[in-house]
Amino acid sequence: MNERVIKLDNVWKIFGEQSMAAMEAIKERGISKPEVLSEFGCVVGVQKATFEVSKGEIFCIMGLSGSGKSTLVRHVNRLIEPTSGKIEVLGREVGSLSNTELREMRAMQMGMVFQHMALLPHRSVRDNVAYPLEIRNIPKSRRWAISDHALALVDLVGYEDRLPRELSGGMQQRVGIARALASDPEILLMDEPFSALDPLIRLQLQDQFKALVAELQKTTLFITHDLDEAIRIGHRIAIMKDGAIVQIGTAEEIVMNPADEYVREFVQGISKLKLVKAHSIMEPIESYQGNLEGAPVADHKADLDQIIDLAVDTDLPVIITDGGNRVGLITKPRLLRGIQGGKE
Amino acid sequence: MTSSADEQNTGISVKAASDIEIDHEQLDKSIADFVEKKPGYYQKAFHKVHAATTSLPNTFNWAAAILGPIWGGFRGVWGFFWGFLILEMIVWVQMGRGIWGSPGARFEERAEAQLARADGFRKQAEEALAAGEDASRYEKLVENMTLAAERSMAEAQALNDGKIFVLLTGLAIFLLVKLVQGFYADRIYERQYSRWRIDPEGTESGVKSRNLVLSLVLVVLIAPLTIYKFTVESPFELLNEFPEKEISTYFLEGDNETFYTKTATWLEDRIDATAVAGQGIFDGLTAGVRSILEAMTLALIVTPWPVVMVVVCVIAWRAAGPRVSIFTGAALAYVALLGYWEVSMETVALVGAAVFLCVIIGIPLGIWFGKSQRAYKIAEPVLDLMQTLPAFVYLIPIIAFFGTGNPPGILATIIFGMPPVIRLTALGMRGVPKTIIEAAEAFGASKRQLLRDVEIPLALPSIMTGVNQTILMCLSMVVIISLIGGGGLGQEILLALQYAAKGPGLLGGFAILLCAMVIDRIVQGAFRRET
Repeated sequence: MNERVIKLDNVWKIFGEQSMAAMEAIKERGISKPEVLSEFGCVVGVQKATFEVSKGEIFCIMGLSGSGKSTLVRHVNRLIEPTSGKIEVLGREVGSLSNTELREMRAMQMGMVFQHMALLPHRSVRDNVAYPLEIRNIPKSRRWAISDHALALVDLVGYEDRLPRELSGGMQQRVGIARALASDPEILLMDEPFSALDPLIRLQLQDQFKALVAELQKTTLFITHDLDEAIRIGHRIAIMKDGAIVQIGTAEEIVMNPADEYVREFVQGISKLKLVKAHSIMEPIESYQGNLEGAPVADHKADLDQIIDLAVDTDLPVIITDGGNRVGLITKPRLLRGIQGGKE
Repeated sequence: MTSSADEQNTGISVKAASDIEIDHEQLDKSIADFVEKKPGYYQKAFHKVHAATTSLPNTFNWAAAILGPIWGGFRGVWGFFWGFLILEMIVWVQMGRGIWGSPGARFEERAEAQLARADGFRKQAEEALAAGEDASRYEKLVENMTLAAERSMAEAQALNDGKIFVLLTGLAIFLLVKLVQGFYADRIYERQYSRWRIDPEGTESGVKSRNLVLSLVLVVLIAPLTIYKFTVESPFELLNEFPEKEISTYFLEGDNETFYTKTATWLEDRIDATAVAGQGIFDGLTAGVRSILEAMTLALIVTPWPVVMVVVCVIAWRAAGPRVSIFTGAALAYVALLGYWEVSMETVALVGAAVFLCVIIGIPLGIWFGKSQRAYKIAEPVLDLMQTLPAFVYLIPIIAFFGTGNPPGILATIIFGMPPVIRLTALGMRGVPKTIIEAAEAFGASKRQLLRDVEIPLALPSIMTGVNQTILMCLSMVVIISLIGGGGLGQEILLALQYAAKGPGLLGGFAILLCAMVIDRIVQGAFRRET
């Protein structure tokens, strides 16, 4: 499980004609983003991005528009060349690949899904899904079979011979996902795949996608501007602001311990019920002076939702256990504060 | 988060529209930045303009009224400068005519001429009398001429007396122009100010001595000469005509040649030299074009005519449906019954060869120009030249290089017909959505696969429009190439034109029209089916 698939090491991207000079100035003098713009007329797209994604993990990159998240993900398959820094995919350094090797890696090991689907309008759904295989010169009979299988995975049986424009937005994006899955890649790059869809369809696709990835064990880089989506889908989340990664952590870590004001503002509106686990709000068992007889018991990994279910039937606190040992308890006031987000 | 906390955070307090006060301070600062000189006056003036509720002006700018265009130039309001410079010049001409012009001069001259002729007739009358003939005829003429001269004199007098009215109308218009300048200057200047707020880099602001000098120089260069030329009866000869001959002889030191003859001769020599030097290439080109034309001719003329007719009708049916097929049949019948069959097929062969060459050269060029912005920038003026240069101009060098006949005609047709397919191919290539190209790249497509699977298919509608345009352009060129010996229907029409033969000309014209319509309908139908 802990095998490293994607590794970014201090990756910088600076847009503009004098990007190399600007990069040098940043390294030597440590000038800031506005200074780079005024001095060199260059825009800093990504700054010192460093993270690792292990096999089977869904790694969400969350940020508002213009925060550099789409730029960052395009470094992984080298649609964009970094100004500085190293990118390793499956143990190979992407920057050192020749054109042929790069094309091969894109075709065999990476599938990408785009916000605006980017399907070929003149090809049928089946041929769209088969296009990555066609690039690799796989014979038609074989690629049609694979394509039909991928379409079945995303629940699109019966639409194989339609043209993309005959399908709804949600269905088109499922074609996009099928296309990314067709060549059975190790890695999925999802660039805001559900952002342009209706909220209901989005929820549906998120669940479908999560189940699919868990089943297929794909390592996924998932870009989104929606924190709810990141929390629903991601094992870990990186929050980006102005091209820099502000915080990396699990949903619970980010919600409970925001790294700065910016992240705090983001997580304010998020419901904690399913995120916060008992161990992060429990009190020491000694702090309670009363009789604990008949108090309900919950595991330390239970979420607030489950604790509330236990707490409504009794006036006593809920006892938290870890492997049978009592490790703490949660009183009613503590529980209410926990729902609010840990306010003291 | 409670709602009261929301209110505190936003810090917005809402006022009724009627309670909102105008913040003059910031506006005044910005106006001062814009005008630089005399901010006090313009702040007040712009406030008044902003407060105005009608389109009638409510300020009067004395500086603009007195200085006129110079004020506009000084303030960088160049529309004001040019508009009122022209208006003021008209007014000055009018006043100049009123003061020192001689409006009756033309009639005075005529009167003098008439008197001179009267004198002539008088002499003839005296001679006749001396010879003992009847002089009454001449005397009558003398009388009439003298009367006419008197009428002319009276006319001239009346016009000269009317000078004062010319001057007065001039003055009246002058005052009117000054009033308009004064009243509208602030309005116009305020507009420039509004533009400047949006685009401070691209809009002139403030006062610059460079602008003042420039406007003064322009006024001095333009106004006196123009007013002089229009008010004086017989100005210097130099102002009437550009002294091209004199300048030529001055610089070429009297070779009895002008710049024109020299350059023309030089060009002619160059073309002749090129024609000789590149004869092999030109002959090769001609041979290549001829072989394509011959293949076309073989297919259309040597094939038995019933076969060609049936095939064309069937193609029309398959490509564009039964209606176009019936129309095609009728058009072919017209052409055949009037004896135009062979020449028409020659025309179609000419157009076909030209279009074929346009497409196989034009589409790759278009793809290249669509991908490389720099190449397109270089090619664009050439394409403009190919389309706008009158055909007659490049027919001449084509004769020099390729001689006369059908193949050179096809080359001339290509020059005229190729730009649309190049342009529209480039346009289509640039219109391919970047996201789709990116997606194909992300799946590992090579440049060749990208072109074949994504770019060309997505640009195809635009390319096809280009091909259709090219076909029509080539058809319209077919008549013109008959001037350099091209055959087909064009030749028939040229003959009809030379003999002013109305009937044959019209019949031939209709034959070309029908050919064009048939080709256009078939091609369009085929495209529509594809998309």
